[in-house]
Amino acid sequence: MIEQRPGLVVSSVAMLVILFLQIPVIVVMLASFSETSYLTIPPQGWTLKWFAAVVTDRTYIDAIRNSLILAVGSTAISLVLGVAASYAIFRRMLPGSEALTSLLMAPLIIPSVVIGVALLQYFTLVGMRGSFLVLLIAHVVITVPYIVRSALASLSGIDLAVEEAARVLGANGFTTFRLITLPLIKPGLVAGALFAFVTSMENVPVTIFLAGPRDTTLPILIFTSVEMGVNPSVAAVSTLLIIATAIVLLVAERWTGFHRFV
Amino acid sequence: MKSLRTGVLLVSPLLLVLAAAFVVPLLLLVPTSFQEYRPGAGIATDSWTFANYARIFTDEFYREVVLRTIGLGTAVTASCLVLGYPVAYLIVRGDPRWRLPLTLLVIFPLMLNLVVRSFGWIVLLTNRGVVNNLLIDLGLIERPLRLMFNMTGLMIGLTHIYLPFMVLMLVAALQNVPRDVEAAASTLGSSRFHVFRAVTLPLTAPGIIAGSILVFVLTISALVTPRMLGGPTYQVMATLIYDEYMQLLDWPSGSALSFALAISTIFIIWLSSRMTRRWAGLA
Repeated sequence: MIEQRPGLVVSSVAMLVILFLQIPVIVVMLASFSETSYLTIPPQGWTLKWFAAVVTDRTYIDAIRNSLILAVGSTAISLVLGVAASYAIFRRMLPGSEALTSLLMAPLIIPSVVIGVALLQYFTLVGMRGSFLVLLIAHVVITVPYIVRSALASLSGIDLAVEEAARVLGANGFTTFRLITLPLIKPGLVAGALFAFVTSMENVPVTIFLAGPRDTTLPILIFTSVEMGVNPSVAAVSTLLIIATAIVLLVAERWTGFHRFV
Repeated sequence: MKSLRTGVLLVSPLLLVLAAAFVVPLLLLVPTSFQEYRPGAGIATDSWTFANYARIFTDEFYREVVLRTIGLGTAVTASCLVLGYPVAYLIVRGDPRWRLPLTLLVIFPLMLNLVVRSFGWIVLLTNRGVVNNLLIDLGLIERPLRLMFNMTGLMIGLTHIYLPFMVLMLVAALQNVPRDVEAAASTLGSSRFHVFRAVTLPLTAPGIIAGSILVFVLTISALVTPRMLGGPTYQVMATLIYDEYMQLLDWPSGSALSFALAISTIFIIWLSSRMTRRWAGLA
């Protein structure tokens, strides 16, 4: 047998590392079921009261709602603007496509905390600080690279002859895009949209500088409550996020073969 | 030309958003970084100074934070590489049936909220946390070890957070290594380890470099995990910027630090893309 397979040592080390990756997740989930009012592992007694505390607490509900509105809104706006721009770049409708692509991807390269302070100063100067619209625009800026990246990658994988065939048969530009191109790039776009959604959902470094007192998001709430001392309801809301993430990942995997796009 | 007009029409909405909410705000940081902050009085807009930049190199506290950030970046990158390689190797070369579940287990923490992951490490690493309790129960230590608010805590937390990126980069690199080259080496009498060292490792070098650059850049600009595991006293560049803006209101110093950080990351990425291009040219 010539083919190399990982040996027992390498396999065991790898499995331990994969276990290491899951440990904080397991610990948070366990802590959320403890009856004590402080965090203990292993949990003492089993209770769902911390979950009840989360779903009845207005601060949590408002934060979850804000996070979802921001993530859905910014992903949708990024999808429309990002796919349109990517398509123009891909079909070489404009000069300087390489420089354009770099600009659209730039928010990924600049550290988030720098984008955060830049927007804080700018929106303070303009007098728009603390508005929800500002937060939404900022989230579009940080999510759009994920859409552009997946759109460009998906577009480069399609056969242009199919588009031409549609044109020859009399379809106009938009119809061709809607009926031919869009369905072909859909799996890639779903993956990109998922990344955009997750990026917005978990962002702290930009959001924390811009969120007004009424626009707190879930990660900001957890982040600031940790500084003030933690209690099991933080673990409970984290557990809910863990479960939601696992469901989204598994559904996305079945739907699009998500792991191929990561 | 019709296609040019369509192109402009398709690109301009996004360009306008990025110009108004990304490019202009970043450019406006430049003048701020050259202004003087007078405690109590605010930002003096009438004078220009290099002091904010000079301080990064001359002030002992600032220098310590910068060196700590770079040290952290290097250490986290190295540990991600050492821990990540076996995982990538098992995913690519192991039993194909295990491939998807293992990949999903690597992606899952990556998708999970950063704040939640850092919170998990707090539960594990605090004085009365899981790790300390376990070690005391086992009789290995008598008094809790200090695992947070220092280098240890940040290293563990940041390695955990950026490890999946490294694994995915290495998986992509390993997939591109042609199996028959390895097979050829072993038929010619190389030992397993020698095949790995002389064939597999060099062929995955571009992936190693790309993964390392990514992890390094992400580590030096991380805010959430260093803040949660390092607390307000054990500072890195990103947490210092956060404090300059939110607590001290010293925007000029904060923006100078921001530029130092942004320019470092852009320079590292530029350098690495040049290196990989040369590498590709040589291969």
